Amino acid sequence: MTWYLIRRVGQSIAVVIGVMILTFILLHMEPGSVARSVLGLKATPARVAIFDSLYGLNKPLYQQFLIYVKQLFQGNLGVSYQLQQPVSTLIAERLPRDAILLGLSTLLALVIGVPTGIYQALRHNRLADDLLAGTWFTLYSAPDFMEALLLIALLCVQLHILPPAFPGGITSVAGLFANWPALILPVVVLSINSVAGFSQYVRSTALQTLAEDHIRVARAKGLSERLVLTRHVLRNSLLPVITILGLALPDIVAGAVIVESIFNFPGMGLLFWQSALAHDFPVMLGGTLIIGVATVLGNLAADVAYRVVDPRIRYGGA
Amino acid sequence: MSPREPQANAVLGWGRKQAVVRIRYSLAVTVTALALAGAVAACSGTTAKIGAGSAVKGQPVRGGTVTVAEPSGASPNDVFPLSPSTNSNGYNINLTMGEWPSLVYVGDGATSVVNPQESLYSSLTWSDDDSVITIVLKPWTWSDGVPITARDFTFVYNLLKANYNDWEYYTPGLFPADVTRVVTPNSHTVVIDLNRSYNPAFYTDDVLYYVPLLPQHAWDKTSPTGKVGNYDETTAGATAVWNFLQKQGSDMATFATSPLWQVVDGPWKLAQFQSDGYYAWVPNNNYSGPDKPVLSKVIFTPFTTDDAEMDTLRSGTSLTVAPLPLNDVGQTGALEHEGYAVVSVPTAGVAEIVPNLYNPVNGPLLRQLYVRQALEYLINRQQIVSDAFHGYADPGNGPVPITYGQQWASPLEKAGGPYSYAPTKAVALLTAHGWKVAPNGTDTCQRPGTGASDCGAGVAAGEKLQFQLLYSSGSAYIDQMNAAIQTSEAQAGIQIVLKAEPFNTLVATTGTCNAQSHPNSTCSWQLQQFGWQPYSLDPSGAGLFNTDAIDNYGGYSSPEMNQLIDETEYGSNPSGFYAYEDYAAEQLPWLWLPNPSYVYVYKGNLAGFVPASPFDFTLNPEVWYYVKPAS
Repeated sequence: MTWYLIRRVGQSIAVVIGVMILTFILLHMEPGSVARSVLGLKATPARVAIFDSLYGLNKPLYQQFLIYVKQLFQGNLGVSYQLQQPVSTLIAERLPRDAILLGLSTLLALVIGVPTGIYQALRHNRLADDLLAGTWFTLYSAPDFMEALLLIALLCVQLHILPPAFPGGITSVAGLFANWPALILPVVVLSINSVAGFSQYVRSTALQTLAEDHIRVARAKGLSERLVLTRHVLRNSLLPVITILGLALPDIVAGAVIVESIFNFPGMGLLFWQSALAHDFPVMLGGTLIIGVATVLGNLAADVAYRVVDPRIRYGGA
Repeated sequence: MSPREPQANAVLGWGRKQAVVRIRYSLAVTVTALALAGAVAACSGTTAKIGAGSAVKGQPVRGGTVTVAEPSGASPNDVFPLSPSTNSNGYNINLTMGEWPSLVYVGDGATSVVNPQESLYSSLTWSDDDSVITIVLKPWTWSDGVPITARDFTFVYNLLKANYNDWEYYTPGLFPADVTRVVTPNSHTVVIDLNRSYNPAFYTDDVLYYVPLLPQHAWDKTSPTGKVGNYDETTAGATAVWNFLQKQGSDMATFATSPLWQVVDGPWKLAQFQSDGYYAWVPNNNYSGPDKPVLSKVIFTPFTTDDAEMDTLRSGTSLTVAPLPLNDVGQTGALEHEGYAVVSVPTAGVAEIVPNLYNPVNGPLLRQLYVRQALEYLINRQQIVSDAFHGYADPGNGPVPITYGQQWASPLEKAGGPYSYAPTKAVALLTAHGWKVAPNGTDTCQRPGTGASDCGAGVAAGEKLQFQLLYSSGSAYIDQMNAAIQTSEAQAGIQIVLKAEPFNTLVATTGTCNAQSHPNSTCSWQLQQFGWQPYSLDPSGAGLFNTDAIDNYGGYSSPEMNQLIDETEYGSNPSGFYAYEDYAAEQLPWLWLPNPSYVYVYKGNLAGFVPASPFDFTLNPEVWYYVKPAS
């Protein structure tokens, strides 16, 4: 296991560096002038020259890359051209809020999806299974934005039960919780699709598990149904959920651009989207780097979690 | 998180029940959709006619908080009033204007004029030859009680003189580059010698309008802990002060806490600022001006999208003032039901399609005046105003809007401009210049040559009359306008190909093109429509249509135009402005388009919000106050 982890960490570092180089090259292959994009129509040659000099864009590409790497090792992700703020500050403000938003939605999806999946497996091919599956797939097939808009129309505009958007000025996690009613709808909308995924994965695995010999043995030995479910079925059914959770880590870092837009939640997704439109290279590079790191960490964490959940799993001959 | 990938595995468990379940899904979808669609339908509003607003009546209430919605992308990010040239965020002025107003205040009720009562000067006089300005400052004070003096003006002047190339609002050749000397005969008088005569109205309205006074006694320093001195009096010192203030001005975390920014001369002080653009003003209790704030707080709160703002308005929450996107004008009835009043205010600017006269393919076509005339004749501006902009737009009869400044609009423009919609005239023009007109097809040149009845210089036989129109994506009403233009141009066989891209992509990939420089890399665009060009109070053509002007993107050049613009900028003939305006309207350096107005909603118990001019609109909450309903 130790060697496996060392090897995986090494691979992960190589992947992150590769992603960084590729992103840097791709971004600089974009047509057009960054300075004009940021300064707008009044970008005179003099202003473009000042801008390019300020951000080192007048240097050869390889020099720009080396400077970027050097800055990275100093913990500096650069300064946003558009927002005129350090990228690390922008990410540090948004990431915790996105982690809360997407973490809560994932948690809600787990709390609903896992028991529902087990229940559906137990009621396999009966009315309850069909109804639940139908409900999940109906919601799963609807786009996030439609669900969000319809919920806003119903609960906020018509019934005035919940606020439709976050108030401005919430830049801390504490502020987020202080405005908890505004969290409800985005968390619900983000969790809808995940519930379907979790429940159907768990249902599928639980069906296989329920058919296995050790479950029959457990029941034959007189183990209560509750213990059979929690000790044997649930534990085995969680393996695919771990995969999904591992893959979810980069999603949490990348944010949820549509939900953030609709609910006035200035998070990572909106930051990256707006920076992409504005040719704001430092933000895009910083974001890609963070997402790359989150992806490899997520996969690594999933691998470790497999071993914890199922000790039979062995890595690298360990 | 959105784990869509596992779906393929999950559905494997359907088995033989799949068909039955599908029907159930359909039912579920239908029922859900019907229920929610019903909710949406119940929410849809009705359109009410919007006017200039009406005065709110009732007993005034002291105090209260007003919350103003900032439209998407309108968050400021720099608090130093002299923003650097590398920061093009036009919304910074919204943050700073209430704290450090300009020497010249523009806007008096709904009228777009200089407002001497609100301005920082008590007199502003010009020498007989219009080359020397004498400004006498009012005996007002800074928020810390220190008097505002002529030294504060020389501080600003010294900073700009040493750093004007790095000032966002610097226009080449104008203030401070055109100043030969500044003297201060006494503590409240400034005399500015200029290097030439100017039209006083132009200089006051369009140049001094951008100059605030700044507190020398608090800001003339080079580090946060350094002492205040007279560093600005040397070029090196002025640059050091400039660099220090620029750095502090971009540090969002300290906008509301830095002692620097707490010294103001406007009616408001910054009490709170968050990095997402949320900020709050509280009254400057030492404000010397005539309109002391009545409200106790004004909050500006950002929105990520127009829809998020509309949902907030419709849900009856705490927004007091908000811009209403034109796409949502249909919601005004519902908003009025929520207790809002609606007002439209004209935009100070001109909307246009810029023809690239030096496009390598069809630049020669666009250099023909008759082609530009035909294009303009085929733009049904009235229809665009009524259909795409719901009636809330300037008609765009020429370079000067007729809705925001009647004093500037010439009789020709007021009468509809030289090119009212007339497809038959367009067809006649093209036919008379050797084109085979193919309505709803594509015209072709049949008589190449440079004669009066030929297609014109550089236009080959068989050449087609077709253009690509690049425009900024993201607004449904702009899509609608351009689709209407495409359709109406086709009536005379002019084919318009529409291409929409994000604004930043457009400006990054297109450049200014003229006779001297039109590289293929940035001059392949043919027609571009990026929005509208803002005007200062005096809607001068300087910087727009004179040869090689900063905003003359399409390369238009005419000695006569240059001369007429110079007359408005430097001359003293009052009729010179109309001469310029009519000539520009006729020559079509740009194709004129309707320009949408601002539409705002405000709570029905907020007085003072209207009337408002386009120049101080939403920037003057010192005249707002709540009222109790009259009993």
